[in-house]
Amino acid sequence: MQELLQQVVSGIATGGIFASLALALVLIYNAMGLVNFAQGEMAMLATFVALALIDHGMNYWIAFPVTLVIAFAGGIAIERVVIRPVERAPILTLVIVTLGLATLINGLAGFIFGYVPRAFPSPFPVQTVNILGALASYQDLGVIAVSAVVLLAIYLLLQHTTVGLTMRAAAHHPEASRLLGVRVSWMLALGWGLASAVGSVSGIMVAPILLLQPNMMQTIIIYAFAAAVLGGIESPIGAVVGGVIVGVTVNLAGVYLPFVGGDLQLAVALAIIVGVLVLKPNGLFGRPSVRRV
Amino acid sequence: MALLELEEVRAGYGPTSVLHGVSLSVPEGQIVSLLGANGAGKTTTLRSITGGVQWTGDIRFAGRSLRRMHTEDVVRCGIAHVPEGRGILTELTVDENLKLGSHLRRDGAAVRKDYDRVFEYFPVLRERRRLSASTLSGGEQQMLALARAFLTKPRLMLLDEPSLGLAPLIVRSIFEIIRTINTEDQVAVLLVEQNARLALEMSSEAYVLEVGRVAVRGSSSELTGNDAVRRSYLGY
Repeated sequence: MQELLQQVVSGIATGGIFASLALALVLIYNAMGLVNFAQGEMAMLATFVALALIDHGMNYWIAFPVTLVIAFAGGIAIERVVIRPVERAPILTLVIVTLGLATLINGLAGFIFGYVPRAFPSPFPVQTVNILGALASYQDLGVIAVSAVVLLAIYLLLQHTTVGLTMRAAAHHPEASRLLGVRVSWMLALGWGLASAVGSVSGIMVAPILLLQPNMMQTIIIYAFAAAVLGGIESPIGAVVGGVIVGVTVNLAGVYLPFVGGDLQLAVALAIIVGVLVLKPNGLFGRPSVRRV
Repeated sequence: MALLELEEVRAGYGPTSVLHGVSLSVPEGQIVSLLGANGAGKTTTLRSITGGVQWTGDIRFAGRSLRRMHTEDVVRCGIAHVPEGRGILTELTVDENLKLGSHLRRDGAAVRKDYDRVFEYFPVLRERRRLSASTLSGGEQQMLALARAFLTKPRLMLLDEPSLGLAPLIVRSIFEIIRTINTEDQVAVLLVEQNARLALEMSSEAYVLEVGRVAVRGSSSELTGNDAVRRSYLGY
């Protein structure tokens, strides 16, 4: 029982990491109906930026928000430079563009920072704390707390500010929003900036566990896809719930299913993706898509 | 000088041209109706004004040319466009739809007063503030669209078939409120309507479009009185 509880807490922490990246995917999917395959690589690059800042002597808790701001600006820049010229292109074109972007960022990071895995500092102590008989690591609790704060901030921004309102409006009804004076194209850029910032939280949180190198996010993005699909790719809340469920499931499967172990955890995520798409294509929180024929 | 002026406006969708040189003007504070059969170009005329279609010729609002302006900049000049199908954001709540109307205004106190007026005109919107706009009936959605347009504090409203698909009683009350907004706030209205009788009652001036051209122009009373015009263009 204790062991189980420990694994669940640890799974929630992993889930928070998935949830941040999944939310980033959902933000862009909502804005333009596009799955951004470069999301993980963008997060990886932001994590390298964070490491560079910390290596230059910046305090972790200053480097963290500074990185988010840089990631935000970077996301906007990518949208303006790379996505905007093909904004009205067919969705397949956009998908190929994001795949190209992923390759480009990956290569760029390798070129600048090299492929040798680097240790990334964690601000949380290595000790464990006893909660109701279960031992939870400060590392896990810290990741849960940071993820929760970031996700809550995004929720408040989207639901309770004018900018959030216009972003949602632009995403759902670009034409009607334009008639109300909403600058739809800028809202798209803002969506990319926000997604980039949220995604980078996932990179920074996972880096102390996985070691930082250019391919670090390539498995994480699969888990994030699983989380987003499970939650319903259009739903921000779904992404968070999906992230936690995927995190806990993968963690428990790794520990309790002997054939899964550490090697087949990714297969569990893929099984979730396939399972959801077959059984409940709209996910837990997605609305059924209705099409007039 | 007229508030809105269209001069020889030609517009269309891709290779299909719909407007073949439409000229019309809306004086400050007046209601002008734009009549005509389906496909005559009424909706396209409105869409040209707010930059929803490519056009040539000239469109001036308050003396300023709207050529090559983006939709969001045109509406920021003080034009509220209630489009065909009402443009309700059904994923959002009634309140959020209204907020989108007022989100660019910085005159907080006046905005609050306007909300009070909106809820006085349309009490049902106050009752349903927190509900999803998708739960509203057609008539309520039209009220929401009109309320939202009013909250942008426009100088000109472009209304595309506000009576479409609504029960006669509801149409009456909605048109009553259009008239109230027009008289109390001096908001000019360019009204596209299938229901010609109703439109002529409301407006001071009217244009009849026929396949992308202005076929008849005159004061509304003239057009109502003219039997030939009535039979051939207005269909009653």
